[in-house]
Amino acid sequence: MASEVKLPRLGQGMESGTVTKWLKNEGDAVAKGDPLYEIDTDKVTQEVESDFAGVLLKIALPEGEAPVGKTIAWIGEAGEEVAASEPEPAPEPERVSDTKVSDTPIAAPPAPPTSSNGRVKASPLARRLARERGIDIATLQGTGPDGRIVAKDVETAEARPATPAPVAAPSGDIESIPLTNIRKTIARRLTAAWQAPVFQRTVTADRTRANELVARARELNPDVRITVTDLLAKVCAQALMRHRDVNVQYSEDALLRFPTANVGIAVAAPQGLIVPVMRSVERLSLAQVAAARGDIVGRARDNKLTTQDLEDGTFTISNHGMFGIEQFVAVLNPPQAAILAVGATVDTPVARDGAIEIRPVMSMTLTVDHRAVDGAEGADFLRTVKTFLEDPALAL
Amino acid sequence: MPELTYREAVRDGIAQAMRADDRVFIMGEDIAEMGGSMGVTQGLLDEFGPERVRNTPISEMAIVGAGIGAAMAGMRPIVEIMYEDFLTLSLEQIVNQAAKHRYMSGGQITVPLTIRTQGGAGWSPGAQHAQQLEAWLVHIPGLKVAYPSTPEDVRGLLWTSIHDDNPVVLFEHRLLYPVKGEVPEQLEPIPFGKARVVRVGTDVSVMAIGPLVHRALDAAKKAEEDGISVEIVDPRTLQPLDEETLVASVKKTNRAVVAHEAVTRMGFGAEVTAVLQHQAFDYLDAPIERVGAKFTPLAFAPVMEQYVVPNAEDVLAAIKRTVS
Repeated sequence: MASEVKLPRLGQGMESGTVTKWLKNEGDAVAKGDPLYEIDTDKVTQEVESDFAGVLLKIALPEGEAPVGKTIAWIGEAGEEVAASEPEPAPEPERVSDTKVSDTPIAAPPAPPTSSNGRVKASPLARRLARERGIDIATLQGTGPDGRIVAKDVETAEARPATPAPVAAPSGDIESIPLTNIRKTIARRLTAAWQAPVFQRTVTADRTRANELVARARELNPDVRITVTDLLAKVCAQALMRHRDVNVQYSEDALLRFPTANVGIAVAAPQGLIVPVMRSVERLSLAQVAAARGDIVGRARDNKLTTQDLEDGTFTISNHGMFGIEQFVAVLNPPQAAILAVGATVDTPVARDGAIEIRPVMSMTLTVDHRAVDGAEGADFLRTVKTFLEDPALAL
Repeated sequence: MPELTYREAVRDGIAQAMRADDRVFIMGEDIAEMGGSMGVTQGLLDEFGPERVRNTPISEMAIVGAGIGAAMAGMRPIVEIMYEDFLTLSLEQIVNQAAKHRYMSGGQITVPLTIRTQGGAGWSPGAQHAQQLEAWLVHIPGLKVAYPSTPEDVRGLLWTSIHDDNPVVLFEHRLLYPVKGEVPEQLEPIPFGKARVVRVGTDVSVMAIGPLVHRALDAAKKAEEDGISVEIVDPRTLQPLDEETLVASVKKTNRAVVAHEAVTRMGFGAEVTAVLQHQAFDYLDAPIERVGAKFTPLAFAPVMEQYVVPNAEDVLAAIKRTVS
C-alpha cells in the first residue's frame, strides 16, 4: 500500500501551509529523511523531509496551499496504483514573493540537472565560481556532458541578468497584490494585539557608558561584531530576571511566567516583519549574545528561520534608531507581555551636576499588556532597564 | 646549438662523467665490444678500457647486486638492464637492498648507483620485451626515478643520476634513441624534481612522459586546428615529482590529460591524477583523462600493437573529451 504524504503541523497554531517547490520528481527514489519539498508556513519557508522510503509515485499538490493533514503525495513501490480520488485543490494565487497579478509569468527555470538524489551535476570549478559569485548553481542549465554544469554556464549566467523580473513602468492602473502568508499572519496577530489594553512608558538613557562598554567588548572579541542592540538585549534580560512578573506570556486562563528570558529581535526581513528569538539571554555573555543575534538576524533576512526560532519569546526589542526615529510606540507582540521600542541616539544637551553637557541620549518606550502587568510594575522594570543601560556594571 | 640523437646524448653523458671521475664505470650485457644491444655504448670500450667498461653474465640479479656492492664500496657505477622487462629479475636487489641500505644503516652506507634501462613498444618486440614498468619503481621509497624524453634531458639527467648519492633508475625508450634534438654546448646537469613546460597553452594541460611527450605534441598541433590550445608538461623525473609545476598548469587551464605509454590502469598517471585532483580540485572543469596502453599483454602482431599502445590520436581524443 502506498504511503500518504500529509501536510504536517510544523508549529502550534499552524493550520495550513503552502507547498512552494518539490525537491523530488514523480518517479524518483526517495529515502527516509531525504528533503522532499519546500513549504511556506505562516512564518517561515522550510524543507520537509520524507517519512517514507520508496518511489515518489504521485504529487497531488505540485504547488499551492493545503490544510494541515491533507494528503499531498504518495510514496510507495514503483508501479503501485495510487488512489487518485483526492481532487486537486484549486491552485491558490498566493506566492511567497510579492508577485504582481498583472505581470508576465515568471519563466520557470528549465529543469535543473539534478540526478535522482537531488544532487546538482556540476564541475568543481563551476561550483566554486557559482559560490564566489553568489549564483545558485541549481538554477543553471548545464551544457557539459550529461547535462553537467561547467564553468562556461556559470559565466554566461552572470552575463545574463538573473530573473528578468520586469520593473513595471508605473501605469495608471491600481495593482492588486495578493496577501502573502506572512502578511496575513502579521495582520491577524497585530489585530489581536491591538485589542489588548496596553499602556506605554518612556524613558531616555544616557548611552555614554554603554558605548564605552561596547567599544571595549569589541576590542576583546575581535571575531564577533558586538553592537548596542546586543548590550540592550542582555540588559533587558537581566532586568527581566529582576522583574520576573514582566517576563510572562499572557493567556486567557493564566500568566505563563518563564524561568529564563527569551528575547526576540524584531527584524525587517525582505518577506516581512519577523521576530526571531534568542534563548536564555541572561545566561549569555555579551559576545555570545552578539553571535546569537548575528545568526538569527542573518537567517531571518535569508528566509531561513525555523519554527523553533520563533517560539517561546518572552520579550521583544524593536529598534528604529537606524531610521532616525527619535521615539515611537511598538505594537505588542502577543502573547508576550511587553515590547521595548528603541529610538535613535542623539547628542543632546543635558544637565549634569549643575552644568550643561552634550551626551548621547536614546529614548526607549515600553508597551505593556495591562492584562498581564500593571503600570507601576512596568514602570519599575523600565527604570531598571534605564539604570542598567546607563551603568552596565549594575546589571552584574 | 649542437644536435645529438638521444642515443648519442646518453653516450656523451656517460663518457663525460667517466672522464671527469675515475669512480664512474659501466657494466651490462654486451655493452663492451658490441657497444650495447642498442648501440648506446659504442666507442666507450676503446676510450676507457675493459676495467671500466665491463660485460656481465646474463644475470640481472648479479649485475645490480655487483653494482650495489661497488657503490657501497665507494664507486659510482652505472649498470645497464638491457630490457626493462628484465628488471623483474633484479628487483630483489633494487628494492630490498639498494633502496634500503642508506635508511637501515642510519646513513652510514650509501648506494650511489645508477641503473639505466630501456623499454617500450612500437617495433613488435612482443609482450616480454616491451613493457613500461616505471610505476613499480616510483612506488619504492629510497629510489629516485627519471624518464627523460629528449637528448638534452637524458644527458642532463644522466649526469645528475650518476652524481646523486642515492640509487636512481633511469628509463630510456627504444624509439627515442634515434630522435635528434638540440643540446647545450656544455653539458648542463638537470636537477631532479623539475618539470619542463614543453608547450604553452590555455585550454588543457597534458602531462606526458617518454615517447608520449612527442605524441602529445603531434596531438596538440591537430588540436590547435580545432581551436583548442594545449599545454604540455613533461615532469622528466617521476620521483621526486614536480607537483608544483603540474598543479600550476592545471589551475591555469582547468583541464588535465595524463599520458604515458605504460598500461593506464594502476599506472604512474593514476598517481599524478590523484595529486592533481587533490591540489587543483576547485579548478577542474572536467574529469581528468588518462591515456595509456590498454590492459593486456602486448601483442606481437603490428596491427594489434598499434591498437593497444597509445598514440597521438588517443591523446587528441582525450584532449577533446576534456573540452566537450
